[in-house]
Amino acid sequence: MKKLSILLLLGVFILSSPAWALSKQVDVKINGLVCDFCAQAMEKVFGKQDEVADISVDLDTKIVTINMKDGQNMDDAVITKLITDSGYNVEEIMRHE
Amino acid sequence: MFRFLMLSVLGLCVFAATGQARPVSYPGGVTVMVMNNGDRNSLHIHYSPTALYSVGYLSEYWRDSETTLQMLQVNNLLKRWNKPDSQANIYLKSGIGMAYSDYGDFDHDSDVAAFTGIAADWESRRFFVSYANRYNDFGQMGDFYMQSGRVGVAPYIGDYGDIHSWLMLEVDHNPESSEPLTVTPLVRFFKGVHLLETGMSNKGDVLFNYIVRF
Repeated sequence: MKKLSILLLLGVFILSSPAWALSKQVDVKINGLVCDFCAQAMEKVFGKQDEVADISVDLDTKIVTINMKDGQNMDDAVITKLITDSGYNVEEIMRHE
Repeated sequence: MFRFLMLSVLGLCVFAATGQARPVSYPGGVTVMVMNNGDRNSLHIHYSPTALYSVGYLSEYWRDSETTLQMLQVNNLLKRWNKPDSQANIYLKSGIGMAYSDYGDFDHDSDVAAFTGIAADWESRRFFVSYANRYNDFGQMGDFYMQSGRVGVAPYIGDYGDIHSWLMLEVDHNPESSEPLTVTPLVRFFKGVHLLETGMSNKGDVLFNYIVRF
């Protein structure tokens, strides 16, 4: 019974955490990414962020993949602002563990 | 001014397009642009504090009139359309500084000079269309208007970091020139932060442009 309670508590804790809390990788679909200069802009802007380990840009899918450092994360509002301030538009943000 | 506006509108109608690379970068970006064609050689270095404008230095040498410009240039992004597979922009480009002449009646003269103009572009990964105009006032050395348009197609679509190639056609219109129209087929190579263009005009003049962005 005690074991079950602990498991239940653990489950509630995990489920109640924000969705991004476990997101190590974030895919962002962006409008306006048409050339290498655009891709470079994303690399430069996100490369300056302490939370970001590395990023990759796929011009075919228009998806920027952001890999976060261990224990670090960025919420959707920050990601959206960085991209908008760079002159592009966010279409969708997808999070993965 | 009215003439300038009329010519601008006419230019937008006649040419489906504009000039070279985007004059505003990402926040904190520095761009160096070296442009050479039959009319002039120029160096433009600009810094973009935000994605909405850039400030920089322009040095330009007009060969026929042997006029050198040293200017502060400001480029403003007036409007951008970001679409899933394309981007379009309208820019205002302006400069102010000094003009020096080594030619004819103006030999060794200098005067305050300025220019302003609109540039617009639309680009996908396959097609490119642009248009730019510019009104120049070189003080006692005169004023003139010019415009250019460009169309391009990429024969293949490369990934980020690949060498991208473009086949382009540029049309320059300088109404006050003895030969107002110049047509220049050119090729553009683009890899990472480097962009290089080369071509030859119908007048036999070489075009060579190089842009690097930091």
